[in-house]
Amino acid sequence: MNKRISAIFLLIAAAVLVWLLAPPPLPERWTESETALISSLSLSALPPLPPDSSNSAADDERAAALGHRLFFDPRLSANGAVSCASCHRPELSFTDGLPIAVGTGPGRRHTPGLIGTAYSPWFYWDGRRDSQWAQALTPLETHFEQGAGRTAIVRLLASDPDYKTMYEEIFGSLPDPARLPESASPLGDEPGRRNWRMLDPDLRFKISSAFANAGKSLAAYQRKLLPGRSRFDDYADAAAIPQGDTHHRPGDTLSRDEIAGLDLFIGAAQCVNCHNGPLFTNHDFHNTGILPVLGQLPSVGRFDGVRLARDDPFNCLGEFSDAAPGQCAELRFARFDNELTGAHRTPGLRNVTLTAPYMHTGQMGTLAEVLQHYDEAPTSMLGHNEAKPLGLSSRQLRQLEAFLHSLEAAPAAAAEWLRPPQH
Amino acid sequence: MNCRLPIALTLLLASVLAWAGEQAEFSVVTEAGNRLHISSDLSPLTINRIHSWQLRLTDADGAPVTGAQFEVLGGMPEHDHGLPTRPEVTAELEPGVYLLQGVRFHMPGRWLLEFGMSLGEDIDGAAIEIEL
Repeated sequence: MNKRISAIFLLIAAAVLVWLLAPPPLPERWTESETALISSLSLSALPPLPPDSSNSAADDERAAALGHRLFFDPRLSANGAVSCASCHRPELSFTDGLPIAVGTGPGRRHTPGLIGTAYSPWFYWDGRRDSQWAQALTPLETHFEQGAGRTAIVRLLASDPDYKTMYEEIFGSLPDPARLPESASPLGDEPGRRNWRMLDPDLRFKISSAFANAGKSLAAYQRKLLPGRSRFDDYADAAAIPQGDTHHRPGDTLSRDEIAGLDLFIGAAQCVNCHNGPLFTNHDFHNTGILPVLGQLPSVGRFDGVRLARDDPFNCLGEFSDAAPGQCAELRFARFDNELTGAHRTPGLRNVTLTAPYMHTGQMGTLAEVLQHYDEAPTSMLGHNEAKPLGLSSRQLRQLEAFLHSLEAAPAAAAEWLRPPQH
Repeated sequence: MNCRLPIALTLLLASVLAWAGEQAEFSVVTEAGNRLHISSDLSPLTINRIHSWQLRLTDADGAPVTGAQFEVLGGMPEHDHGLPTRPEVTAELEPGVYLLQGVRFHMPGRWLLEFGMSLGEDIDGAAIEIEL
């Protein structure tokens, strides 16, 4: 009797083992619509970088060189120790590996990567800025990020001989640093704000223009940080060529698990609804029921972000923008209603496996946790969760994670842009 | 979106539904028997690109309907969310031809767009479906 029970037990255990380890069934071949969807995710479908009409220096090589130096310069901070690169570290796909950024003080949000972000119409997790240059300016004046203040940045540009030469070749003359108070900023502490108010309006405008140009140079540099081709891209391009009856051909660059993960990604798991296009993001905002960090109130996200973007003096419609109003469609026609409550920006997924932790305040340490979250689609604490429960098996979740590994690739940027400038 | 849903649904039921596919031009007979012809300056329609549409509104005899005030709503019924932008008619380019700016779609799938039109004392409506 005991032998029979043991045999049955062993049989069941073997069946479970086979179920867990056996290669998953794959569809016979991709359908026409699946092939089109897969092709739409390939880097080959990425259009040339669109011009940034709000930044006349966006594609100026001299501005990129200046921006490169500024990006890695810790003198652009109140304590002289924090550069853009302190949080956007090139070796971590321009993230920092921390749940929440640490600048001159503890931050509020998780540091997003920068590769390919020049394609986005919106910046920050809540889209509070509408251009890469307006984004680049914000940490410079935010007290817990770099907090240098507006005049401090312009004084540095005007007093460092290299910066002064580089800047004036592109943008013309800088204000005389002797006329600028050491600390004055409309967003600074009370003494800094008082100093700012006491400045002549014309000088304030000149300082803000020069400050904006620093941001435009930082943006020109960041436009160089483009994504490189991954194993997935080679697979996607091959899948687009009709060859025989099966999509899993010898020489495929993806494993069976990765292909099964791709099948889920564009199908049952519905990831492609938001993580679409060659950068795996629709650059938009969604409430997916992400819980706040324990003890914190949930973030209202885009609901606040769109208001902040509209109020930003450095936005596309502002006096420091180089765009005509007709070129600011994203800002002019931005949606603003309650449906955006709790919505945060869809991050791109290229190199996502290298940029833990995840979500706007780094709530999730691993991709497995992220995938589990989307499988469950819990009720949102604020607004409503757009996602629906998926009911995937643990094996399917592992396959999705395997697929995400196929998106790893070195950036398609010259090596010099990925390290501090050599003086 | 949610507070406008009953109005939008009424509008939808009262109107003739047009199936647009990815084509960038489509035409629909409105609730009041006018014809709304829509052409997109982005062709074929794709996701993630903001663009404009021209709306040509004519009466049953083909004469332009001028001075119409538009309200454009829409979304993805399966996902229970609205449009990612707030498109607006910003100009009447020529009699009966209106410029709709700020159109963008951010997901593949079925989209529903509803056009509410004020024509002086009268109101009119139309809806289209787009599969992207």
